[in-house]
This record gives sequence, C-alpha cells and structure tokens, in this order.
Amino acid sequence: MIITLFVIVTATFFLMQFLPGTPFTNPEKLTEKQLALLNAKYGLDQPAAVQYLRYIGNLLQGDFGYSFQYQGRTVVSMISDRIGPSALIGLQALVFGTIVGLALGIISALRHNTILDYGSVTIAVLGMSIPSFVFAALLQYIVGVKFQLLPVALWESYASTILPSLALSVTVIATVARFIRSEMLEVLGQDYVTTARAKGLRESVVIGKHVFRNALIPVVTMLGPLAVSIMTGTLVIEKIFGVPGLGEQFTLSILVLDYSVIMGITLFYSALFILVVFLVDLLYGLLDPRIDYKQGGQA
Amino acid sequence: MNKVETKPVVKQSPAEQQHPEITADLFVPAPYEEKEDEAFAKPALSFWQEAMHRLFKNKGAVISLVVLVLLIVLALVGPMLNEHTYRSQNLAHSNLPAKISGLEWLGFDGKNAKGVDVYEQRGIETNYWFGTDEFGRDLWTRVWKGTQISLFIAVVAAALDLVIGVVYGGISSFYGGRVDNVMQRIIEILMGIPNLIVIILFILILEPGITSIILAMVLTGWVGMARVVRGQILQLKGQEFVLASQTLGASNARLIGKHLLPNVMGPIIVTIMFTIPTAIFFEAFLSFIGLGLQAPMASLGVLIEDGYKSMRSFAYKLLFPAVVISTIMICFNLLADGLRDALDPKMRK
Amino acid sequence: MKKKTWLGFVILVIFSLIVSGCNFSSSDGNKDDKKKDGGTEGDDKVAQVLNIYASSDIPTLDSTKAHDAVAFDVLNNVNEGLFRQDENNQSVPALAENHEKNEDETVHTFTLRDAKWSNGEPVTAADFEYAWKRVMEEAGPYNYMLVTAGIKNAEAILNEEMDAGELGIKAIDEKTIEVTLEAANPLFETLLAFPTFLPQNQKFVEEQGDQYALEAENILANGPFKLVNWTQEQSWKMVKNEDYWDAENVKLEEVNVFVVKEPSAGANLYETGKIDRVKLTSALIDQYADNEDFSIDKESGIVFLRFNHNHEVLKNAEIRRAIGMAIDRNGLTDVILKDGSSPLYGVVPEAFYFSPDQKDYRELNGDFNKGTPEEAKVVWEKALAEVGQTELTVSLNIADTDEMKKVAEFLQAQLEDNLPGFKLDIKAVPFAQRLEIEKAIEYDLSLSTWGPDYSDPMTYLDMWIKGSSANRMDYHNPKLDELVQEARIETDLSKRYEMLLGIEKILLEEDAAVAPLYQRGSAILQRAKIKDLIKHPAGAEFDYKSAYIE
Repeated sequence: MIITLFVIVTATFFLMQFLPGTPFTNPEKLTEKQLALLNAKYGLDQPAAVQYLRYIGNLLQGDFGYSFQYQGRTVVSMISDRIGPSALIGLQALVFGTIVGLALGIISALRHNTILDYGSVTIAVLGMSIPSFVFAALLQYIVGVKFQLLPVALWESYASTILPSLALSVTVIATVARFIRSEMLEVLGQDYVTTARAKGLRESVVIGKHVFRNALIPVVTMLGPLAVSIMTGTLVIEKIFGVPGLGEQFTLSILVLDYSVIMGITLFYSALFILVVFLVDLLYGLLDPRIDYKQGGQA
Repeated sequence: MNKVETKPVVKQSPAEQQHPEITADLFVPAPYEEKEDEAFAKPALSFWQEAMHRLFKNKGAVISLVVLVLLIVLALVGPMLNEHTYRSQNLAHSNLPAKISGLEWLGFDGKNAKGVDVYEQRGIETNYWFGTDEFGRDLWTRVWKGTQISLFIAVVAAALDLVIGVVYGGISSFYGGRVDNVMQRIIEILMGIPNLIVIILFILILEPGITSIILAMVLTGWVGMARVVRGQILQLKGQEFVLASQTLGASNARLIGKHLLPNVMGPIIVTIMFTIPTAIFFEAFLSFIGLGLQAPMASLGVLIEDGYKSMRSFAYKLLFPAVVISTIMICFNLLADGLRDALDPKMRK
Repeated sequence: MKKKTWLGFVILVIFSLIVSGCNFSSSDGNKDDKKKDGGTEGDDKVAQVLNIYASSDIPTLDSTKAHDAVAFDVLNNVNEGLFRQDENNQSVPALAENHEKNEDETVHTFTLRDAKWSNGEPVTAADFEYAWKRVMEEAGPYNYMLVTAGIKNAEAILNEEMDAGELGIKAIDEKTIEVTLEAANPLFETLLAFPTFLPQNQKFVEEQGDQYALEAENILANGPFKLVNWTQEQSWKMVKNEDYWDAENVKLEEVNVFVVKEPSAGANLYETGKIDRVKLTSALIDQYADNEDFSIDKESGIVFLRFNHNHEVLKNAEIRRAIGMAIDRNGLTDVILKDGSSPLYGVVPEAFYFSPDQKDYRELNGDFNKGTPEEAKVVWEKALAEVGQTELTVSLNIADTDEMKKVAEFLQAQLEDNLPGFKLDIKAVPFAQRLEIEKAIEYDLSLSTWGPDYSDPMTYLDMWIKGSSANRMDYHNPKLDELVQEARIETDLSKRYEMLLGIEKILLEEDAAVAPLYQRGSAILQRAKIKDLIKHPAGAEFDYKSAYIE
C-alpha cells in the first residue's frame, strides 16, 4: 500500500511539472522579474528532482506544505476543512441512493418483464443518462425557488444538505438499481435457489437469504470506489449548491496549479481509495464464503 | 460435470405432503417406448439461432432495436434533411424555438417561454424543426450531427471497456496471487493520479480531436469493468462446475472463455450500459477543457451542457438532445437485457 | 439482526461526526434574521443591511499580498489608505489630511488625520512605512505598483540590487510621511487609492505571524467597516466601524457577503431574496431581461485579439487590419453575449477615462479599423497578394471559459465567411495554459483580456512597449516606446493626454497591432432599494461607504 502511494505521489509530482504555468496568484500581471523572485523564494527554480526530494523529505516528517493560492493556509487544514461537507452530502446520497436503488432493483427483478420492471428500468436509465447537473439545476429551481421548501444554495444549516444529497443520489440509485436487478435475475436462475425453493423455504427467505446476498457482490464492487469519489466531493454539485467541499477545491487547484494542494489531495484521495478497495475485497469474503483468499491473493 | 448445464427436474417438490404411507404398489413403471425416446421434441437449433429466437420473442428488445436503428438512420441522414449545416450561423435567426407546421399541437409551435410566436414577431419564414441556438444555427442538424459523434464515442468506449476491462479483470482474478496483487496495484495507481492533469497534458501535446478523446478515455475508463469482472470471477472460481471442468483437464483459455465469462455476462453488460453515458458526458467535459471536439462541432453531451445553462428561457435547447440521449440509453438497456437473457444458458426456458 | 443494529450504530456515529465537522454558518444566519426583524420593528427605519455575493472566497486579506477582486473589495471597505476613490473614480484624500509636494514634485509630504485601528491604537506614519516596505520584502504580487508609482528605489529593490529598507518612504513623526519619487509622476495620487498602499500595524502583524489576515479576528480595521465574521468558503460579514473618522457618513450597518460560485445559483438566491445584487452570465440574460431590477452597465475590462508578430503572414499590418475589420462586433455583443458588452475599436474602453477638460478618451480618439465586411475583403485580398499567399490557416488560442468559447466560435464563422481563403482552428486550453502559450508566443492568434490596474488610460497603453511582460506578441514600435516614456514623466496634464491619445494611434491606426473586440459589461439584478452603491472600474470594485437601503 505504501509502495502504491509512493508511486502515485511520484508520478503525479513529475506529471505536474510538465504543466506549463506558475502556481502563483495573479499570473496575468506577474512580471518576469517578480516571477523569478517568487520562484527563488519557494525553491521552484531548483531542478524537479531536487524539489521532489525536498517534498518527499517534508512529507516523511508529516509536512504537507502550504497552499500557493491561499497563502498561509496549510494543505492539511484545507483538506480537513473541506472534507466534512463533502463527506456529509456524499454519505447521505450514498445511504439514500442505495436504499432506493435496492428497492427499485429488487422490485424489477422479482417482477421481471412487467410494467413495474420497465418502469424502474426507465427510472434507473434516466438517472444515468440525464447528467446530475441538469437534475441539480431543476431541483434547485423547483424545490428552492418555485416552492421555497428548502434553501436554494449556501451552507447554512442541515436543511442546506438535503438538495445536494438528493441530486447526488441519482447516480447511486441508477447504479445500484441496475446492478442489483441484473444480478438478482442471474442468481434467481441458480441451482441453489431452486434447491432452496425445493426445500420449501418461504419465498421471502429465499429472496432475502439466498438471492439478495449473492447478488450484492457486483454492487459492492461498484459502490466502493463510487463511495470514495462521491464522499470526497463532486465538482458540479458542490458548485451549484455552494457546498464548501473538497471536490471543487481539487479541480480548482489543478487549474491554477496549486502544487502542494494538488499533491495533498491526491495523496488523501488515493489512500482512501486504496483503503476502500481493500475493504471491498474483505467484504467479498464476508458476503461469499466461496471466495478463497489464499488463492485470490492478499489485497 | 458442468453445473451450469444441469437443468433441475424438481420444481417446488411436494415434500411436505401429508401422505401417511407410501407403499411399493403405488409405483407403476412407465411404459418404455424406444422410438419416442429417440425423437427430439424440438428441431435442433444452433446456439446463435436459439439466442436470436429468444431475443425476438422479447418485445421490449425488439422495439428497442427498431428505435435504435431508426435513431442511427436519423443520425446519419438527419443533418442532410434541410438546407442548414451544423456550422452555418445566422444571427438574425438566433434563439428561435422549435417549429414544425402541422405539429403545433405537440409544442412545435415556435412560441417562446412567454407564449409569443417568435417567428411571427421577427417575420421569419423558415421553420427550424428543433429551433436554433444563439448563433442562429439549426439545432435539428446539430442534434443529429451530435448523435453521430456521441454514438461513435459510446461504441468506442464500450469496446475499449469490454476488451481491456474484461481481459485485465479476467487475467487478474483467474491467476490470482501475485499476478492479481500486482495488477490491482496498477489499477490503484492509475486511479490515484489525477486524470485532469494527464488530460491537460494531452491537450498541450496532441491536437484536439477524436484520437485524443479516445486516448483520454483509454486512460481509466476500463477500470470499473476490470474490477467488476475480477470480483465476479473471484466468486465463480471456487464453484463446483469450474473445479469439475478443471479436473477434467480443461485448458485455462477454455475455462475462462467457456465457463467463467459467460457467467459474468450480466454484470459486464450492465457495466457497459454505464460506460455509454459516462463516455458521452466525459466527452462533453473534455470539450469543456479543450480536448474534445473542435468547435463548432458538437456532441450530444456538449449540446446538453450548453442547453442546461439557459434552460429556463430556452428549454428546447436542453430538451431535444436530452430526449435523444435518454431514448438511446433506454433502448440500449432494454436491448442489452434482452441480449443477456438470450445469451445466458441459465435463462433457457 | 444484531449485525444490522451494529452497522446502523456505526453509520450513525460517522454521520454525527461528519455533521459536527461541517461548520455550518447557521448560527450567524439566525442572528442576522433576528437583528433584521428587530431593526424593522424598533424604529420605523429600514434595516441598513446589504446582502451580496462574491464569486470566490478571500485568499488573504494581507494587503501586501492580496491580488484579487474579492480581497480588494473587503480591504477597500475595512481599511483605508492615504487616498480613496470617490464616486467619479477620482483619487481623493482619505487618511491624508494634507498633501504637499516640493517644486519638482519628487518629494511628497502627507499629514495624517486622527484615525484609529480597531484595537484602539492610532494609525501612524510608521504603519505606512512598515506596510509599503513589507510589500517589497514579501515580493507581493502587486509590488510593481510601487514601481509604477515611481517610488524611489522600488525598481532597484525589485531587481534585488537594493534592500527593501531603502524604499523611498519615511515616517518623519507620528503623523507625517515623506515619500520620495524617482521623478515627477502624474499618476502618483491615482495609484495611492490602490489597496497595495494600505497601512498595516506592525505590532499586530508580527503578533499574528503567518496567520495574519487569514481569519476575521486576525486583521485590524481602520476603514468604514469592520470584518466581524468570516467562515472560509462560505460567507463573511462586515459591520459599521463606529471609530472610523467619517463614521457619520457611513449609513449601512451590516454587509453580508456569501460565496456563490455558480451564476445560476446566484440568480436563484436573488429570486428567493437571500441576496440583493447578482451579476448575470449571458445564458441567464434572456430569463431576466424583463425583470424590473435588471440593468446593464459598462465595465473596464477589454477583450481583444493578439497577433503573433513573428508569424510570416500576420506580421503584415494590413492583414491584421483586415482581420480586425472583418468582425461584426455588434452582432457579437448584442446577439451572442448580450451581457452589456459593447463593441470596442480601441484599447482604452469608453466611459471611464476623461481628458483634463472632461472629454471621454474614446470620443477623442474615435474608432480605429472599423469597416464593413466588403471593405475588409478589399484590404484582405490586397494584403494577401502583397505577401504572396492565396489563403491563410491559423489557430486561435483561447481559454476554455464559456464566454471565450462563444466568442471564438463567432470569430471563426465571421472570419471564414468574410475573408476568402481564411481558415481558423480553435484551440481551447485552461486559462493558466492559455497565458503560458501567450507568454511563450507560441500561437498565431490569441483571444486575450485585460483589466486596468488603476484609473488612467496608461494602464492600457504602456503594456505594448518592447520588453513589457504584457506585450506577449513581440510587437515593437520604437515610436510608441518613446511616447510612453515621455508620457510617464509629463506633468502637464493636457500635454500628457495628447500623448496618451497618440500612443493608441500608433498602436492601432499605424500598426493594427491588435484587434480590439469588445469592452466587457455587466448585466445585473439589483434591488431598487439599494442606493449609491459605488462601483469603480479599477482597483477595488465596490465601495459600500456611501451606500444605503431605502
């Protein structure tokens, strides 16, 4: 895991060096003299390798550095300030989306090729083919402006979290519903289900114990990384609803080349991603005892 | 013996029936007639013939197929159906709502958000079927031109996902152990490096266009697929039919191709279905940072992104591309479901 | 079952942890509401509360390091320097009670009025000396403003030939500042209203260390308002500073600023009454054009085409002129942008810069290279024959913003339609890279923008001299360089203005060195109850000092 992170950090660091531009603010009006002065001040005039070694050295001492754009703010404080809102709306979207998605998916699998099935497939498909920004904008207008039920935007109270979470959950609903439906259909045809039914188990037990649990595997596979990307923030939703989150910050940092922030968030994001992938692999084992980890390799 | 091909005979067996006694005289041997046993109930069909047969019995799939073909034809022919081109601007005709004579009752009445017939107001004779954008470009032409491009991108993305993702995920999980470990770490690294940085580098090195769009998609697009396939195969690998086949001396290629992959079809198809809209909107995102299509070309994603910004005053700019993309998606999904059912040996009725 | 309860519990704990880490700005919001209600009930007056938005958070409020419009706005209202811009954008004395110059106008002596920092300490001459020297020491992003102002040794310090301590400013006593210039500078007073010239309390700055000006409590106020609350990335709040020397003329009690990054969200917040003023993007104009609060306004930013003067065809002035003439700017601003932008045929925009006898610069210099497509075609074909070509394919370097992409698409159609044999490829890249490509002069055409640093035409004119970091196209005309140098030290304002007019003539009439496209505008929704909100073309944008709610 450490090695993976190390490779990511190294690759990102050097790729970033290829991007033309300066991390300094107000680049439009910076004169060359000023630029040289600032580069010298922050050690950016050194060869990339030297800068890299210095960065790694600082990193090992737990120093993630300061932002170039928000002078005086540490990268750590920027991440810790922004992750809360992102994680909150992400988590809500995830929980809500999974519940609704599961419900839709299960209904349509059990009523395969009926109106109910087509209805929920259509909902799920609309959820994935209409981009979240369109949905978010509609939600903001209808709920926030037209009926004034919830705050339009800004981050002022718990009520502010509802619309962005809803907008974000669309993707989750679509993903979960589609996967669980397809998997349930698959599992419903398996022998052990027939066996279970043959044993005379009640249908609810068959579905709950045998079908559902086995159908969860691909859902979990998809949900893990989806959870990471959703909870670390999404640019569009955060921007539309004025959520002070991490996703927006990350994209902005890349566009203005705020080196230390890019590195910090990349590191944070990758560590989280690797952790979740690891957890998902463990979950496979829990969900399905047939997966043999001695053979499958330790994750 | 391969488990997949066993068809259970018993269905809801009356196990708990209340017959107090079962005696030998209750059983009478069935009369054995050699000829009848030899005869086939149905004419023998090849796998594909049967699959096709099953596919065409699925109403949803057939309708979807027809609609899809129709859309493809429109995408190819649509731009030529009127005198406008996707790039010709006419400022005097900017922001006209959709108007088709004869279809006024459907909303194609050339009226704007305030209910004023803009065509009448500005004295414009030509009808624009899907309206025009702020440059006065015909949206009908642009939507179908965009459909062409988006469909192409979708197909390429799906193919890439399928090939790279399935092969990668398959190898990784099948061989397991060290191979799996290394291959999974590579995925993590790819996911870890912020792809916006890589994409911006692409823009600066490459000429924007289809090639660079494809390259940008190759980057990480297949990872989801690889992970799904891996998860599934890890699960299947331990199952009896695989072990049995292995014991019988089946080669690895045969194991993967004949036994494992067909059983992963469901998730693979679903994942591909997700790839398509993701790819279409990824392309829109790319054109936003300059790597996508060269303006004035536009894809459905770009049109939707443009349309949504002014959706309250010019709803039609968002509506038409959104309807087209949703129709494409719904059809693809129903068709894919039908295909999955048709190809899946377990679904045989 | 047990497992599920356990899982539920874990989720609940995580959830509550996250909620607690979210620092909602709600508590303040409620307080505001109460206060507002109290205000309306108590006395029959309207609550003097202004609610507005900013498009991003404040990076820093350290005036020596601040560089962006948002921070400048806050600094301009929370702090005050020697001069301040009035409602006509003229520099007027603020903290400077008295201003004297020596005969050759190189030594300026300012006497400060009685003013207090919000911690009770007086604002002294030493605060200015400290802050200005700190700008040079910290290599602040606007340190070149001190060079532009011509303060003695500023350039040498920038070149690292001298120490920041040798800057030509000296606190003679508690109330007297002496500033020495390299040479007489007609722009000096104008520049002093710029936020980089604000004072700082040395003791306080050093106490706060690297946290200075990063939180509401880490900055001192000496201006019309005090910053009392600042939730990063969300909002900040200013209240009237009762200790301000001119407090009786400050009517607003409270200014709330919310960070809103998405224009459509801003418009929605305006509709629900959360904010009182919002700037609209082109896509939103049609929706609100009939609204009674809608208005458009000219801005001082310009958008223009740069030509690579090393390009073998584009180095021909007539080619450049033809390209400039072939573009229908009215169509661009009225049909495509609609946001109050107006056609521009010069590099100095209209309505902000006036000659000593109060004539608009644009009016005096007129339009350059304006023509019909037919005229453009004639010039084009002649010039093309001159350089021995029949066609020209060039690429256009643009930033990937909505506005720039629209303009580029429009230019492409215009130029390709109006100039036979012309082909334009659009190359969009993120802003930072657009700039780098421009600086390296690795483009054919580049769609550029420019905003003024100070309220004088010079800020649009001296950028074209050889070696200027804003030239970015290898344009060089010795005549222009010479005229700029002369104008920089000319103290006779009428003569100077003639020179300023002349510079633009060389640039456009003679050389057609760039093709100006339009002057930016702003389309805004602003509630009618807001009065006297002052907007400046350069430096800090807003002044809330005189604003009030009716």
